[in-house]
Amino acid sequence: MEKILNKLLNFKWIIMIVILAISLLFIFEMKENTRMETDLDEYMPENHPAFIYSDKAESWFNINDGIIIAIQNKKGVFNTETLDTLKQLTKRFQKFEEINKDDVTSLYTADNIVGTEDGMDVKRFYKRVPKSKEKLENLRKNVKSNEMIYGRLISENEQVTVIIAEIGDDVFTQDFYSRILKTAEASETDDIKIYVAGRPIVEGTMALLGPADMKKMVPIVILVILVVLFITLRSFKGTLITLGVVFLSTIWAFGLMALVGIPIYAVSTMIPVMLIAIGVADGIHLYSHLQTFINHNPKASKRIVVKDMLKHMWKPVVMTSVTTAVGFISLLTSEVYPVKYFGIFTAFGVMMAMVFSLVFLPAAIMIFGLPKAKIIDKEEDKEGHSHSKLANNFASLVIKNKYISIIGTAAIVILSIIGMQEIWINSSFLDKFEDTSEIVLTDKFINENFGGTSSLNLILDADGKKDIFKDPEVLKLVNKMQKDVDEKLQVVGNTFSLTDYVNRMNKVMNADKEEFNTIPDSKNMIAQYLLLYEMSGDPENLNKVVDYDYEKLNVTFQLKKDDSNAINSALDILKTYEDDFKKHGITMNYAGSGYKGLVFTDLILEGQIKSLILSLLTIIVLISLMFKNIKIGLISSVPIIVTAAISFGIMGFLGIPLSTTTALLSSIAIGIGIDYAVHFLEQYRNNAANTDDKMHAAQKTMAHSGRAIIYNAIVVIAGFLVLMFSVFPPNRELGALVSLNMFTSFVGTLTIMLVLLYITNVYFKKGK
Amino acid sequence: MKNLKLTTVIIISMIFGGYTMSAQLTGRQIVDKAYNIPTGDDKTSTLTMTLTNKQGKQRIRKIKQFSKDMGNVEKSIMFFQSPADVKNTSFMNWTYDSDKSDDQWIYLPALKKVKRISSDSKSDYFMGSDFTYDDLGDRKLDADTHKLLKTEKLNGVDCYVVESVSKDEDYMYSKTKTWIRKSNFVGMKKEFYDEDGELLKILTIKKVQKIKGFWVITNSEMKNVQKNHKTSMVLTNVQINTGVSDSKFSQRTMMRGM
Repeated sequence: MEKILNKLLNFKWIIMIVILAISLLFIFEMKENTRMETDLDEYMPENHPAFIYSDKAESWFNINDGIIIAIQNKKGVFNTETLDTLKQLTKRFQKFEEINKDDVTSLYTADNIVGTEDGMDVKRFYKRVPKSKEKLENLRKNVKSNEMIYGRLISENEQVTVIIAEIGDDVFTQDFYSRILKTAEASETDDIKIYVAGRPIVEGTMALLGPADMKKMVPIVILVILVVLFITLRSFKGTLITLGVVFLSTIWAFGLMALVGIPIYAVSTMIPVMLIAIGVADGIHLYSHLQTFINHNPKASKRIVVKDMLKHMWKPVVMTSVTTAVGFISLLTSEVYPVKYFGIFTAFGVMMAMVFSLVFLPAAIMIFGLPKAKIIDKEEDKEGHSHSKLANNFASLVIKNKYISIIGTAAIVILSIIGMQEIWINSSFLDKFEDTSEIVLTDKFINENFGGTSSLNLILDADGKKDIFKDPEVLKLVNKMQKDVDEKLQVVGNTFSLTDYVNRMNKVMNADKEEFNTIPDSKNMIAQYLLLYEMSGDPENLNKVVDYDYEKLNVTFQLKKDDSNAINSALDILKTYEDDFKKHGITMNYAGSGYKGLVFTDLILEGQIKSLILSLLTIIVLISLMFKNIKIGLISSVPIIVTAAISFGIMGFLGIPLSTTTALLSSIAIGIGIDYAVHFLEQYRNNAANTDDKMHAAQKTMAHSGRAIIYNAIVVIAGFLVLMFSVFPPNRELGALVSLNMFTSFVGTLTIMLVLLYITNVYFKKGK
Repeated sequence: MKNLKLTTVIIISMIFGGYTMSAQLTGRQIVDKAYNIPTGDDKTSTLTMTLTNKQGKQRIRKIKQFSKDMGNVEKSIMFFQSPADVKNTSFMNWTYDSDKSDDQWIYLPALKKVKRISSDSKSDYFMGSDFTYDDLGDRKLDADTHKLLKTEKLNGVDCYVVESVSKDEDYMYSKTKTWIRKSNFVGMKKEFYDEDGELLKILTIKKVQKIKGFWVITNSEMKNVQKNHKTSMVLTNVQINTGVSDSKFSQRTMMRGM
């Protein structure tokens, strides 16, 4: 290996040109074939039973997320001006190319079915905007007496009315959103304020805002890394070459993605994050070694210096890269394809970073020259093995106070485990925005006035038993369940299903008497009401709540929050009805984007935990083999475990919920933790071979590897702290957590791992 | 719930013709002839209405229906025969020649009461089907501007192709295109375009029979191509001019059954 690497030094120009040419090809490929995937449904594993069912149910009942346009008039909505605005806006939204005319619902489109003394009256609430006081009052009365409209399309304080426009999963674009906003704003007056909300808006804005914010922040991150790297390496060339390794590996990873036709998912934006954090490490360690050598041998030729670097460093570079890559490959166990791709391409990037560190970096040094030698303070340079009093003192301090490290680590791990209990999973999209952002405030406003901006669909499935949802007993049970959930949970604003139609028809056909607002006792009666509704109302309405054979029912729960706690609290109550429905041969299933988001987050998490454990085990085995010592394998896992534990623990204490991004971040604990550990261990092993003095070996390792590790940590932490200034909260969390992981990894390696190495006497005969 | 004079309705709407005289008819004249095809005074038939949704699931309803033209009022009455849970549910509809809106009643056997129904929309769908009342014949000749586009063969039969554009911009169809058989002015096919000018529905006439000298469409299918939903209507036991009594069209008959 070493020989090959040395031989390659002769072909520095060819290597340079070949690498750059391939990179250019990849860049070209990226330009041609890269596409972003913003449709969140594409992230879901299609063959997971929960998703298959939900997708089917969505098509049976035409379940779609709705954009909510709220029209507010503090003087009340029952006046000519507001009603006219509602009518005009409804019509304008119906004309949108992205919106199906029939999927727009408002007071203007709704039918009012009312009971009269001798029969039934089906009317639009209004077609021509009412002008006289009498007609307006009449309309108001009609709305108030229709519980399918009042509180749903018009707020109970009569100041807000909504238009709901359901759209498909894939139609949201920035342009569409801005046209909606423009249309809405154009109708605003001194009295009338218009708000736009709903899951498609939240989801769409997030899909656009996240990457857009990243685009802004990444150049700053790189700039900061560049500066800090320059300060630590004190070499401009070294800085550029090290960053070159990172860039090239990122380009190759994304280039390969484009080449094999895999789109960029939201989690893919984490790939450069990982590669920056990990790729910089190789460069720093190589340069750190190189610098030490030059400082001691200022007159050595380029070739000798580079050869020495390769001789000592190729092994740890290969070991760290292979172990890191294996760690990422364990993400293949995930059921979520974007996560699998994330694992594969990060692993590929890491391996490429290794190749570039061992081939491109030496070639670049051969071409551009060495960094300058630094003058060594002879007093500090005891016996030529160390350059820093600080490192020596630190190493001996750590070892002398070894119990502080051990107890401290144990305490921190225990605390972290306590913190982890507090961890909650959050699939909310809304929580990713600032509390003071327009989108959150609008959502809050609509939730205060209406049932809720998020929904959960319960699908009751009798599996082919026709007409079961005409059975009064079954419908009464559904009705009871709806009332139960509605009453018990503050977060559930309202519920909706076939029972609401049956209740209404029963009331209407009995002269609008409130005591008939119930499910009738006869199956034929229910069937006849439904037939009547089908003929007099819009039959499409019924298709949204029950299937053609009356064997599948869609019950919608409107939630005021889209977070996992809200959905789970509803699910908990619903599950208590499982047995009752089972008696009728009915199973409970769920559908809708909120539910899918919940399942999806669970899946990611479960996969992440599985792959964390798997990669930890693989790494322990790999390192044990590499160092031919199982103790070393176990010791090397300590910084990883500590880093991961603290990361999760702090998330628990600070109430940072686990989400796709934050869960994947734990991979960084492995990637970086293991790098630090391997560099340190390899150095320690080499130093131990040359001395009988454990303390001496520790000090030397600290001075050499320890310094590189600190530099590495400082560089990446400085870079990622920049993300704390992001306007997008998830990106802030990302910055904070990456920095935290870097910090704990380095502290863990330099303290507890060193202590463990010391007290276990590896590489030293016992008793010494 | 609306007008239920189904047999008449279908017959008129399907654009029937009398006899061809001139070779140079205008679009309006062609449609006029098709609208004013002779029908009998009274009709009795069994309607099988099959609704098929996009999953291919079906709802099949069998209805016995009677209708009679009484000069300035046309009355019809229908009784559900199946499915079993709505058996004997009945509807009655009176349509007036004047501007007076239709009178409608419904009888639900489970409720044991006849209820009057009033509704204000002509573009309502008929019994949850893909046919609107307008599609079934309530459309007035001069509500549209008619234009003869061309003549062409449809399934080997010479047809006029007439485009009818709604005068009311808010109407649910921006335009329709009708294939009318040259020899007898019977409609063969009709395309309906939505407000945005996109194809919404296609009506296909599958069978036309001459019964007692009157042309009757006995099998037709309306497909909503945007929703992938379709309705098939098949008439059997069609009888014309059998002398259905006036007293049949009463609330008492609705409750008692036919």
